[in-house]
Amino acid sequence: MTVRNKTGKPIPAWVWGVATVIAIGVVVLLASKDWRRDPPQSFRYEVAQYERVDPSRVLFEEREPITPDVPGLTALATSPEGRIYAAGTNAVVVYGLDGREIARHAINGSPTCLAVTADGEILLGMTDHVEVLHADGKPKARWPSLGERAHLTSIAANGEDIYAADAGNRVVVRFDREGNVVQHIGKADASKGIPGFVVPSPYFDVTFDNTGTFWAVNPGRHGLESYRSSGALISAWYRPSIEAEGFSGCCNPSHVAFRSDGSLVTTEKGLARVKLYSVDQKLVGFVAQPATFHDSPMGAFSCKLETPLVDLAVDSKDRVLVLDANKNAIRIFEEKASE
Amino acid sequence: MSVKGQIGRRDFIRAAAALGIGGGIWKTAAREPGSMVWQLDPQQCVQCGRCATHCVLNPSAVKCVHSYPICGYCDLCGGYLQPGAKKRDTGAENELCPVSAITRTFIEPPFFQYTIDEDLCVGCAKCVKGCGLFGNGSLYLQIKQDLCVHCNECAIARACPAEAFQRIPAEQAYLLKTRPEGGPAQT
Repeated sequence: MTVRNKTGKPIPAWVWGVATVIAIGVVVLLASKDWRRDPPQSFRYEVAQYERVDPSRVLFEEREPITPDVPGLTALATSPEGRIYAAGTNAVVVYGLDGREIARHAINGSPTCLAVTADGEILLGMTDHVEVLHADGKPKARWPSLGERAHLTSIAANGEDIYAADAGNRVVVRFDREGNVVQHIGKADASKGIPGFVVPSPYFDVTFDNTGTFWAVNPGRHGLESYRSSGALISAWYRPSIEAEGFSGCCNPSHVAFRSDGSLVTTEKGLARVKLYSVDQKLVGFVAQPATFHDSPMGAFSCKLETPLVDLAVDSKDRVLVLDANKNAIRIFEEKASE
Repeated sequence: MSVKGQIGRRDFIRAAAALGIGGGIWKTAAREPGSMVWQLDPQQCVQCGRCATHCVLNPSAVKCVHSYPICGYCDLCGGYLQPGAKKRDTGAENELCPVSAITRTFIEPPFFQYTIDEDLCVGCAKCVKGCGLFGNGSLYLQIKQDLCVHCNECAIARACPAEAFQRIPAEQAYLLKTRPEGGPAQT
């Protein structure tokens, strides 16, 4: 049957051709584009405003990093004479202050934490127990397991005392140099005013300040507590807030270290901030802002949710050392010269 | 013609036909052993929000699920509270979820339990991102197989920027998160 227009004439073939081309074009256009709307703003998780840091508040500048030839770096420590120790899969590497490798020790496994005693012995937290290496890297001792639930996340040495943070049992264990458990510190005890550690995830750090006082992070309460070696609580301060002055999330600060003047350096998970606090616990400024560690952690298409800040230390020159998991490197930050 | 109270031949044939057609449809729709279903790999998910907007169902068949062994039962929960929440309570202005699909229940100081209301959840993954960044990553998305209509070509999979959707055996059906080996015990 021939299709005719109103005047009774047949519709020319070219009209059919144009109509067919237009129809095909429309179909291709509809099929090639996804016409569904993108997720609205109310579905987006926004923390960009907390990531932005005024450059004038960044008080440190980055130096050449150390990039150890060890896969899966997990722990970092410094010794009083200025050596830098980094541990990863099956190895501990020792660097001088100039960043040159001094020694390399083979170990079995991947330490969860690391410390060095004043006489150079290396203490490795191996999830549920501590292993000790002589200063020359030869194995010295393997201390007994702290149990199935134990998960050591930090270890600190001061004289004859070794303190290990056990995130699994939410307690700090004080050892003597032979590996005997002397004291459990931080168990909740209302009669002694001890609130108890809240450790939702394996971020639980311990350290000593410049006066030799022992400090433990209480990550679930977003602050620090200081204790005597007897286990008595000396003081505590908490700053739960996502603002620059505070600590947010389930477990922050993730790592802490004191400088020689008593100021405190902290790292956080979530917002990868490295901050500096004064002796009276006031925010002085930033060592590094989140953008230093990853370009856009909160971007819509980023699946990198784990914190890149694996460990923190301060060396004998008061430089801040950050173990960066993304780059598998020791990032070094030095305070800017005052103008 | 049927006598009252008895089933006539015509009624019997109609019932048999209905049963046969219904059974055929059920047989076609049901997942047979060895068949594959769509599922979302939580390790690949980038929490882009498209699971909420690109599913052929409304609300989406993708829902947030909660791994209680991984959860820290935090007071300051990144998956429940707005990043800058003034208070840590159940006030609507403090809630992160745009549809209030998460319930916060006090357990003991300072621990809270978080429960997902699947009927309300739209699968936007806002809480998943907050929990992953600031918490333990116990909240994550999964396609609920009882809701999914099993499209041959999943509309969300086409739009997923991380290619996190995959076909898995129907017997497995879910890609669940578990507590990492050697991780600290939770409450």
